[in-house]
Amino acid sequence: MVIIRRVKPLPYWIIPIIALLAGIAISVIILYVLMGASPAAVLSAIVYGFTRPGVVAKTFVALTIVGIALLVSFKGSIWNIGGEGQITFGLMAATWVALFTALPYINPGLAQASMILLAMVAGGVWALLAALPRAYLGLDEVPVTLIMNYIAYYIVDILVRGPWLGKHVYNYIRTDTIPSQVMFPQVPGTTMTWDGLLLLIILLIGVWYLLKNTSIGLRIKILGNNPNLLRSSGISVPLMIIVALTISGIIAGSVGALYLGGDVYRISYPIEVHTANYGYTGILVAWLSMLELIAVPIAAYIVSALYTAGIQYQILVGGHLGQLITAGSAIVDVFIGSILLMYTILITISEYKIRIIVKKR
Amino acid sequence: MAAEANNAKPTFLSPPQEGEKPIVSLRGITKRFPGVIALDHIDLDIYPGTVHALLGENGAGKSTLVKVLYGIYTPDEGEIIINGRPTRLTSPADAINTGIVMVSQSPQIIDTLTVAENIILGLEKYNHLVPVTKVYKIIREESKRVGIKIEPSIEVWRLSYTQKQLVEILRAILLGAKVLLLDEAITYLPIEEKQRFYKFIRQFADEGGTVVLITHKIYEAMDVADKITVLRRGKVAGHLDRKEATIEKIRALMFGERSAEITYERLPTAQPEPKTVLEVKDLWVMGDFGGYAVQGVSLEVKKGEVLGIAGVAGNGQKELIQAIMRLRPIIKGRIIYNGEDITRKTTYYLRINGVGYIPDLPAKYGVSIENSIIENIAVLPVYSRGIINWDKVKELALKLIKEYEIKTPSPDTPVKFLSGGNIMKVLVARELTVATNLLVAYNPTRALDEATAIKVRKVIKEKVLKNKVSAIIASEDLDEIFQISDRIAVMNSGKIVGVFPADKAKREEIEHLMVM
Ligand SMILES: Nc1ncnc2c1ncn2[C@@H]1O[C@H](COP(=O)(O)OP(=O)(O)OP(=O)(O)O)[C@@H](O)[C@H]1O
Ligand SMILES: [Mg+2]
Repeated sequence: MVIIRRVKPLPYWIIPIIALLAGIAISVIILYVLMGASPAAVLSAIVYGFTRPGVVAKTFVALTIVGIALLVSFKGSIWNIGGEGQITFGLMAATWVALFTALPYINPGLAQASMILLAMVAGGVWALLAALPRAYLGLDEVPVTLIMNYIAYYIVDILVRGPWLGKHVYNYIRTDTIPSQVMFPQVPGTTMTWDGLLLLIILLIGVWYLLKNTSIGLRIKILGNNPNLLRSSGISVPLMIIVALTISGIIAGSVGALYLGGDVYRISYPIEVHTANYGYTGILVAWLSMLELIAVPIAAYIVSALYTAGIQYQILVGGHLGQLITAGSAIVDVFIGSILLMYTILITISEYKIRIIVKKR
Repeated sequence: MAAEANNAKPTFLSPPQEGEKPIVSLRGITKRFPGVIALDHIDLDIYPGTVHALLGENGAGKSTLVKVLYGIYTPDEGEIIINGRPTRLTSPADAINTGIVMVSQSPQIIDTLTVAENIILGLEKYNHLVPVTKVYKIIREESKRVGIKIEPSIEVWRLSYTQKQLVEILRAILLGAKVLLLDEAITYLPIEEKQRFYKFIRQFADEGGTVVLITHKIYEAMDVADKITVLRRGKVAGHLDRKEATIEKIRALMFGERSAEITYERLPTAQPEPKTVLEVKDLWVMGDFGGYAVQGVSLEVKKGEVLGIAGVAGNGQKELIQAIMRLRPIIKGRIIYNGEDITRKTTYYLRINGVGYIPDLPAKYGVSIENSIIENIAVLPVYSRGIINWDKVKELALKLIKEYEIKTPSPDTPVKFLSGGNIMKVLVARELTVATNLLVAYNPTRALDEATAIKVRKVIKEKVLKNKVSAIIASEDLDEIFQISDRIAVMNSGKIVGVFPADKAKREEIEHLMVM
């Protein structure tokens, strides 16, 4: 048996599809072996997840937006692992608008828009802080953005335990619930909000235009392929790094506002337990999309369906497996971990093929 | 160079004996890529103990042919016969096991390892186990035999391009190469190394080795090769023996009618205006590994003239050019462009003010090979501010493709699918278009075939004469320097050691100053 480099690489869209199927198969096996979960129940949960667009919608919107955000920086080979932190900062900014300004009572529409816009600004600022050392000191953005996720959690935790602690929360440590005026209206029959859907459409078109028709978009792509060309063209590489990472943070930040206004309506302490982890799950979405913008919603739908499947599984079998009542999120992690692992392996080996040669004597 | 190789000829001459069997034969080799037939039923016999030159214009299929022989591409049709046996090569490992090793234009060795480690790695990978302790000794001995000096314990990133190429070649020899494929591997070595290397090649062939040599320097091929095969548009245009090969014959086979345009005559001398476009005053610039690469250089370029900078590679030309383009920090001294002190200004300032730039190593510094031709044009600030007008850029791309005969299926094709010379054409065409006031270039015709190189020089000179554009061109190719320059400055060890009006300059004197 020999392993040789492929002369013609596989069509690139094959890899995410195989990764997905193999990842699901492995998840089913892992869940069966480790938790005794019946494959039939797991598979039926998966089918449920994939066939309920209305239920999946909320997660789908959030993951698509995060996927778009990460795609922008990934295109520039800037590995933004800080989606979580940027979302958390967005969440913080939106909460401030909703709870500590008079805007919701004066003009609810403007208040909702402000929540989203300010969340974007906050996400952008948080990303910018990671971009500066990357651009000017060459500090690797992966650990920096990762660490900044935790710093963002702690800042929010401090706020929630201290100045932002709600007045009507009994013994819970959390903020007050935001006024109903700024709870984003739901699209009937789905879990998503009009605000989220609108934002999703604007961002998809906006980023498509950015990458296709603007000099910034082109330069981000060239930053990812050969920054030397930017230099010799007279374009500042540090500036492009800052632009790519900040745009990424701005987009990711908006998800914080959607999470507040369309999902949780308040921040509970500790945030690191109550976060939806969209910032991390979004990395999977971006990779599965192979950094093609049109594939981001598809990847997001698949991942959010699996996300929903995990939670559905918990509901389906929770009764039987008493102690595993919290298994829902663990199952999501198993799905996502297996798929990402398969994806990584496949990307590596896709350049090679395995041939069995029978030696004739 | 030509003279020396000619003198050496009698001792080297070893024509293949009649009836000797080819070590490698190609029969009907065909390779298609989307939109092009790179190789179209190629028949070729390569005999042991010969240096076989493979010539052809840019995009003729030379690289594709040796890549087929090295197992990188598998042919769509046809047969490779090695030592009389039909053989399928599906990877470089296959090729190496049959004794075929390729060295290409760009070094493939790993930067973070030492020379010795790189070589050991190569050997282990192909099961030629050598005790580590012996490797240093072998490297030292072998490198002496090849006529080069390489310290085995040095990390590769500290090496110059020349040294890296020599390590590549050394590695190939230690791998036990019987057939050495050299794809423009030595074209860009400094003259001295090149001569030594050609001697080694001759010796290697005389001892029974086989060399397939790709180069755009036809005279060099005629000096060193026993046989010459010319490719044209994927087909064999002709096989020639050394005895029957004349430069006219070869050029006619390579270029057809275009060969009539080839001339090394000096292009008309410009009549510069009194205005100084570029002035460099007492410039000091660091090299990559510490130490001053440019040591107090002063020079001047008038409006509408070409200043050629002659010199052996590695004497500070690269650093000087980069400093002028504001891509390298200036430690001391000043640069004045159009009356404006640009010592503290950025590359951007130059780029939006009519400066074109052709860097050394085009694929590394001048284009992004993953991006398309039009994207590689649009990236320049003069073409894209804010929103890109793709229709306009595309129109320009199509114009340049036609004007420079860039071989590509479309302007949207990623540059990586182009041949080496055609990648260079994309860069040169783009930069000549933006150079409305000044062209700063280092080896502007690197990788281009003879006809195209001369055409590019003519285009530059025409802009200088007609549009009063200025140019500062550093080149390791003296033919180029003499053909295009109005004044020649010689650079040696970081200093300008002489400036001459080109029509009065003597070649011997310049050569002497270069190596002094
Ligand atoms: N991987 C590829 N994909 C698509 N087309 C290719 C590929 N490699 C080569 N070609 C095309 O095949 C033709 C021959 O290319 P090749 O690199 O062999 O030329 P060459 O003779 O080496 O030219 P040069 O002197 O410019 O290096 C060109 O038209 C080139 O665009
Ligand atoms: Mg080539």
